[in-house]
Formats: sequence, C-alpha cells, structure tokens
Amino acid sequence: MKVVPLQKKEKVLGKVYGKRRYDLPLNNNENTRFLVILIALMSFLATLGLSGFFTLGAMAERWTSGLKNNLTLEIPAETKEGRLLSAEEMTSLTQAAVSILSSYPAVESHTVMSREDIQKLVEPWLGEGTLSAAAFPLPGLISVKTKPGTERKSLEALTEKIHSAVAGARLDTHESWLRDVLRFTGALQFAATLLLATIALTTIIAVAGAVNARLSVHRADVELLHLMGATDRYISRQFQRHALLLGLAGSAAGVAAGSLGLLAIGWMTGEMDVNLLPQHRLSLPQIISTATTPLIIALLAVMAARQTVLQALAKMP
Amino acid sequence: MIRFEHVGLRYGIGPEVLSDINFTLAPGSFHFLTGPSGAGKTSLMNLMYLGRLPTRGLVTMFGQNINKMKREDMVAIRQRIGVVFQDFRLLNHMSTFDNVALPLRIVGKPEKEIQSNVSELLEWVGLGEHMNVLPNTMSGGQQQRIAIARAVVTRPRLLLADEPTGNLDDEIGERLLSLFEQLNRMGTTLVIATHNQMLMDKFPHPRLILSKGILTIEESKFNLRKKLEGLF
Repeated sequence: MKVVPLQKKEKVLGKVYGKRRYDLPLNNNENTRFLVILIALMSFLATLGLSGFFTLGAMAERWTSGLKNNLTLEIPAETKEGRLLSAEEMTSLTQAAVSILSSYPAVESHTVMSREDIQKLVEPWLGEGTLSAAAFPLPGLISVKTKPGTERKSLEALTEKIHSAVAGARLDTHESWLRDVLRFTGALQFAATLLLATIALTTIIAVAGAVNARLSVHRADVELLHLMGATDRYISRQFQRHALLLGLAGSAAGVAAGSLGLLAIGWMTGEMDVNLLPQHRLSLPQIISTATTPLIIALLAVMAARQTVLQALAKMP
Repeated sequence: MIRFEHVGLRYGIGPEVLSDINFTLAPGSFHFLTGPSGAGKTSLMNLMYLGRLPTRGLVTMFGQNINKMKREDMVAIRQRIGVVFQDFRLLNHMSTFDNVALPLRIVGKPEKEIQSNVSELLEWVGLGEHMNVLPNTMSGGQQQRIAIARAVVTRPRLLLADEPTGNLDDEIGERLLSLFEQLNRMGTTLVIATHNQMLMDKFPHPRLILSKGILTIEESKFNLRKKLEGLF
C-alpha cells in the first residue's frame, strides 16, 4: 500500500509524542476539578473531626487521671443551725478528721489546704483580694489521695467514720461530676465519629456519582474496550487509577489545609489561659491517623469507583 | 466457527429485527453480509461480536454455546474476534499507534512486542508516518485504515467488518479487500457487511443476504462454477 504523505496540518495538530497513555480520556473533564475540591473539603473536615475526637479523648483522660483516687474532705464553716465556727473549733475538727485519715488503711496521703490555697481556689469566681476571714467564712478542705484500687465500700466506711467525728463533713469523690463529664465527652466523641462516617459516606457517594457521570460520557469507549475483550477489572482499573490520583490530590490538599487550621487553633488556645482544656499537642495516634487520612480517603475513592464501574459493566453482556 | 440456529433478536418489547436466522460459517471461510439498509446487518454483526445476546435461538462460537456461557468466559471469545465498526470507533484522545496497540495491551502483550508489531502493521497499511497523530486530524480513509489495523493486530480468528469500504474510493476499497483476502488465506474467518455490489462481484465469495430480518445464503458464482466443474 502506498504511503500517504504527511499532511501539513498533522505537522502541527494532533501530535502526541511522549504523552502518558490512558485508554479512556477521564482527565479531559471539567468535573475533575469539582471532585478534587469536594474531596479536599471532605478531607479538611475529616482532619478537624479527627482532631476533635482525639482532643475530647485527651480532655477526658486529663480529667479522669486528675481526679482518679482523689477525694476532697470538706469541713463546713458553720453548724447545721447556722452558727459560724470559730478558728479554734475549725482547727479541732480538722485535726479529728486528719487523725481518722492518717489511720485509715485505704488512704495513701492527705494534705490540709491552707486558707491561702482555698482563697486561690475561689478567687476566679469572687475576685482577687476581696476575701477576708471576717467577711467571708471559708470551709476547711483536706485533699485526700486513696490507694489505687480502693473499693467503694471502703470509701463509704471512711465517710461514716468522718461523719461520726465531724458533724456535717462532706467527702466528695467527684464521682457523679466525673461520670457526667465522661458521658458528655463520650457523646461528643460519638458525634465526631458520626461526622467522620458521614464524610466517608459523602466521599463515596460523590465519587460514585462522578464515576457514573464519566461512564455515561464515555459509554461508547467503555463498550469498545469491553467488545475488544477487556475484562471488567481492566476497565475498572482505568477508573480506579483516576479516582486514586484525584483522591490523593484532593485529600492531601484538604489534610494540609486542615493541619494548618489545627496549628492556628493550637496557637490561639495556647494564648488562652484555659486550665480545663488539655495542651494542644498532637499524640502519636493522632499523627498517624492524620497522616493516613489522605490514603484512607483515596482508598475509599478507589473502592467507590471500582464498585460503580463493576456494577455498570455487569449490565453489559 | 459460528453457528446460528433459529436465532431471533428484538430490542426491548419491539418487533423482532432478526427472525429465525440459521447459518454456519466454517473456519477459514469468507462471507459477505449484504442486504438493504435496515435489514438487520448491524444487528447480526452485533450478535456475532457478542455486543448483544440473542433473545431466542442458539448461538455457537468457537465450539462453545454462548447462551450457556458465563459472562466472564465471553472475554476469551471476544479476544479472538476483530471488529471493524462502521463508524470506526477510534479513541480520539490517543495516537494512531496507541489506538492500534490497544487490543494488544488489553490482552497483556509485552510492550516491546507491541512496539514492533504495531509499527510493522501501520507501515503495512500505509500509516507509518502517522503513528503519533491523533485520529480526528486524519481523513476518513486514514481513520478507516487505523480501524482495520486495530481489528487485525491481534491476528483474530474471526474478523467482522461493517461497511469497511464505505469511506474509501473504489481503488482503496479493492486494495482493502485484497488485504482481507490475504488475512483469510492466513486462516482468519471473515464476514464483511457491505452494500458494494461491484466489490462483491469482483471478489466472489458466498453472500449472507438479509432482508426484513430473514437470512438467505447465496453461494458465489466462483464456488458454483467449481462445484459444477467437479460434477463433470
């Protein structure tokens, strides 16, 4: 057969030297950018959600460890009838309580809080320098540390002993407060988990929708590959590779933006004097989960693409 | 090679576009498929390259009953068939080379082998200088040659061509038919759907004639002459 001479327009048009080969032109689509942005936003939210999850865990841990095995014995500053106790009476009741605590086997240590310490405790609520012994009677407080593994029964027996020696004394195990706080942080962690699950589901639905759209656009080409004897796996790999690249690009950008956001939040909370909140430090599990977020999101995108394509191909003979 | 027994095809709930089709194609045979427009040629080709399954009847290809075959097993059958589509169906984002190389890549041939086979084939069909050109910048005749090169690159056992000479002038059409005959001599079974009476007269092969969805087979004059010569 005679060689057809090269036409002039071909010398400038349509040359594809050195281009990477794709069986399907999946990259030539405006929706690609939309999907990358969507995945980036989802990854950004996932990074914040993960951080929220771990911060709540750290808060619960901090509160639990701070209060575990710690009790506070409060000696009221007045009698049941409303008479203020004198300084001598307070000292005597404190000593009676201390002597019980010292001899009780479940108690590891105890510290009688000075009036200045108690003043410092209430100062955030009442204002600095506003208190005086005469103006505001303060209760006596003894911080008690029990031995690890102390049972509730033992604490109840201690409470009874204290009550018999010091009328109106109250032993605060912080238990109910701690329970409520832990339940609250648990609920917030559950909400964060739901958020992460929603993000995963949204990513899957978005990728599946985008893949379906591509399948519609390139239906003839997909059919052609199918008729040439391409296996379903071969065809789905085209979409999987595309989804992997988009997923990695979008999620890497989203996680990077999310990490910057977290740094900013960390810097802002670092400036605040908030004792209730934990120091904003990244834990190892948080670092690992944040670093693997792009991979997980890309993997979800790949799985969604694969499933969508295989389902569509199953309808072909 | 191919056997159709009482095969019927309908699209959805419409009427049958093919009714009670019966024929057998022996390995290495060469047939024209002809008939007026709308007779069902493309539908019959579609059944032969497994683009569709029949709504009734029995189809046997390469000795295997298609009706009972698992979907995934049809892949191996499709890989033995080369198809030249009426509208070429080239991938316009790919170079000529990559279009022709695609069937080889699908079956997992090594890239080195692909390079030499595809280059050689493109030289053979006169497109050696157009390997890195996108098909949509080429003429209809050139695109058709790419489609033909793509269909034969895997050396299929069955080649189905739907109006392969439609966009070509008579001279190139004849050269193309000679190329098909060459392939046929190398053992490939061919079915060429065409309207071109002159071409069918020039290349005397048996004809499958479709009219209103019904198929009749007409022996070629050449074959009849040979049979008559055998009688006397």
